[in-house]
Amino acid sequence: MSRGQGRRLVPSYLAPGGSSAPTRNSLQSLTALIATSLPAKPHHTPAQQRLLDLTAKGPLTVAESAGYLRLPMGVCMMLASQLVDDGNLMARAPLSGVPDGIRTPGAGRPDKSLLERVRDGLLTAL
Amino acid sequence: MVSSPPSSSAPSPVYLPDGDFDLVKILIVGPFGIGKTTAIETVSEIRSLHTEEPMTQAAASVDDLVVDGKSTTTVAIDFGRITLGGTRIVLYLFGTPGQERFRVIWEDIAQGALGALVLVDTRRLDASFEVMDLVEDAGLDYVVALNRFPDTPAHELDLVRKKLDLEDHTPLVTCDARDRTSVLDALRTLADHLVSRAGADLS
Repeated sequence: MSRGQGRRLVPSYLAPGGSSAPTRNSLQSLTALIATSLPAKPHHTPAQQRLLDLTAKGPLTVAESAGYLRLPMGVCMMLASQLVDDGNLMARAPLSGVPDGIRTPGAGRPDKSLLERVRDGLLTAL
Repeated sequence: MVSSPPSSSAPSPVYLPDGDFDLVKILIVGPFGIGKTTAIETVSEIRSLHTEEPMTQAAASVDDLVVDGKSTTTVAIDFGRITLGGTRIVLYLFGTPGQERFRVIWEDIAQGALGALVLVDTRRLDASFEVMDLVEDAGLDYVVALNRFPDTPAHELDLVRKKLDLEDHTPLVTCDARDRTSVLDALRTLADHLVSRAGADLS
């Protein structure tokens, strides 16, 4: 283990309650998260509590939540996954028409109509 | 200013707009110090955010990264967003260094991206080859934006196109990362290109 030579990649207090992998592999960096009214459970970590506090007032993406909480996105995703499973967070997939949070493997190139909306939207951006 | 640490006070969160918006991302890539963060700050409606993504242990063991004189085992990602209200899109711009040694986490970063804006600088074009390799290997269409001064001769664009060995269909534009209109123009060129490439053969 070369890990002992430098600082830890992830502080131990961020360890997501004993699970080493996300319980669902569906969250993406642009999945929107919003807290439900369910209170945090005893097994939730302080970082998870902060994530619930952050998303209690409105939706934020996994990426933005990570930025505000100063967590790596991968860590934020793990913390959020458990909270989604526990019913404390709701996750909304980045694109409408795609089932909730489901990653489409090898989905290939982006949809043309979506790209046209990006283009047309940028045309009117000042 | 690529791997600057987050400031001491976290900005207050700017929540997503109400209603059904589709969230998409475009990558802004280039070597260290090329102006990725500046470009994002210039157009983002939120104060740009920053994360440090740890490299896997395997990668850390083969690469002892030294950046700005300090050893690091993380990849910095800066990002911001633009709400395109008229077409119900929230466009995220993810800035990340496109370097070969980051390949292990590049797939994650590129996952779901619509395309990439590749920033280049004539003073170190060589540093851009590995950036473009990563972008191409990720299957992303891209536009190259040359950091150029107003008095740079026009023929330089042709020279850059040749040196970078760009495909004929790959647009090459100039861009001043500090200028909002300039960055938006580069993004518009990219969006145009992505629309025209949609449905085209992957090659």
